[in-house]
Amino acid sequence: MVRFKHRYLLCEVVSDDPRCRLSLEDRALGGLIRDTIARVHGTFGAASCSIGFAVRYLNAYTGIVLLRCRKEFYQLVCSALPFITYLENKGHRYPCFLNTLHVGGTIRTCQKFLIRYNRRQLLILLQNCTDEGEREAIQKSVTKSCLLEERSDEEELSDSGGEEAAEAME
Amino acid sequence: MSDIERGAGSMQGMWSALDKMPAPATTYERIVYRNPSEHHYMKVCLEFQDHGVGLNVAQFKQLLISALKDLFGEVAAALPLDVLTYEEKTLSAILRISSSGLVKLWSSLTLLGSYKGKKCAFRVIQVSPFLLALSGNSRELVLD
Repeated sequence: MVRFKHRYLLCEVVSDDPRCRLSLEDRALGGLIRDTIARVHGTFGAASCSIGFAVRYLNAYTGIVLLRCRKEFYQLVCSALPFITYLENKGHRYPCFLNTLHVGGTIRTCQKFLIRYNRRQLLILLQNCTDEGEREAIQKSVTKSCLLEERSDEEELSDSGGEEAAEAME
Repeated sequence: MSDIERGAGSMQGMWSALDKMPAPATTYERIVYRNPSEHHYMKVCLEFQDHGVGLNVAQFKQLLISALKDLFGEVAAALPLDVLTYEEKTLSAILRISSSGLVKLWSSLTLLGSYKGKKCAFRVIQVSPFLLALSGNSRELVLD
């Protein structure tokens, strides 16, 4: 009824440099986004967006970032993300950009989207795969995720929790 | 740009679907003005605490843009803002801003405190969506 409503922005860090994703840190990224909002939207933007702002989830291997902001000001945050052009870590600058995949009202919806998105990405990876060893590894994870998907569908039908869905989110 | 809507036909259609009884015809006419004008015009005057400070028109516009940039960022600094007239002696000007940016400009003029270390303030004399309204100000009217 009376609560603070948030928007969760699911973003992907895309970069040419493979070291860029490994140098992702939640505090450094949060500071970078706050500075960018201050540059693009001024004092007003910095103050309004930083109250409910947090980096909720960060995956350095896949480059997935989940940001939280207040519902009234999520458009300011969304519009400032394209202005991020580099990530800085220990004096090294890696050019990159943030791709917004999904905007959700709760973490759960973003998680559901991320599971479906990861499954589709696995299939795309399988198609573009060159190495035989990699191909087998990806095929194994695809079949495992399909089994988990069937099991999680059955469990959702039988009204029990989605713990398997949480395991599938790698 | 105005819309004129008549509700007679739709009202009758809705009622006859629900009640299958002939309802009395209600006619109404609604005129909606979405955008009377795309721009807003402001007559402003810049006052310094100590006298003897002069700005030319380029410095004046630079001051406006930096005020917008401080408070609202790069996005607001890129708003289409024009200085239509400028008088260097009295430091007064007529500005034109697109209507969506009026609130941003007015609030950043309000919060502007200093220029190159010297204290100053913007006095907003008149704001109107029509430029013709700025030609006469009833506050400065002198009755004989």
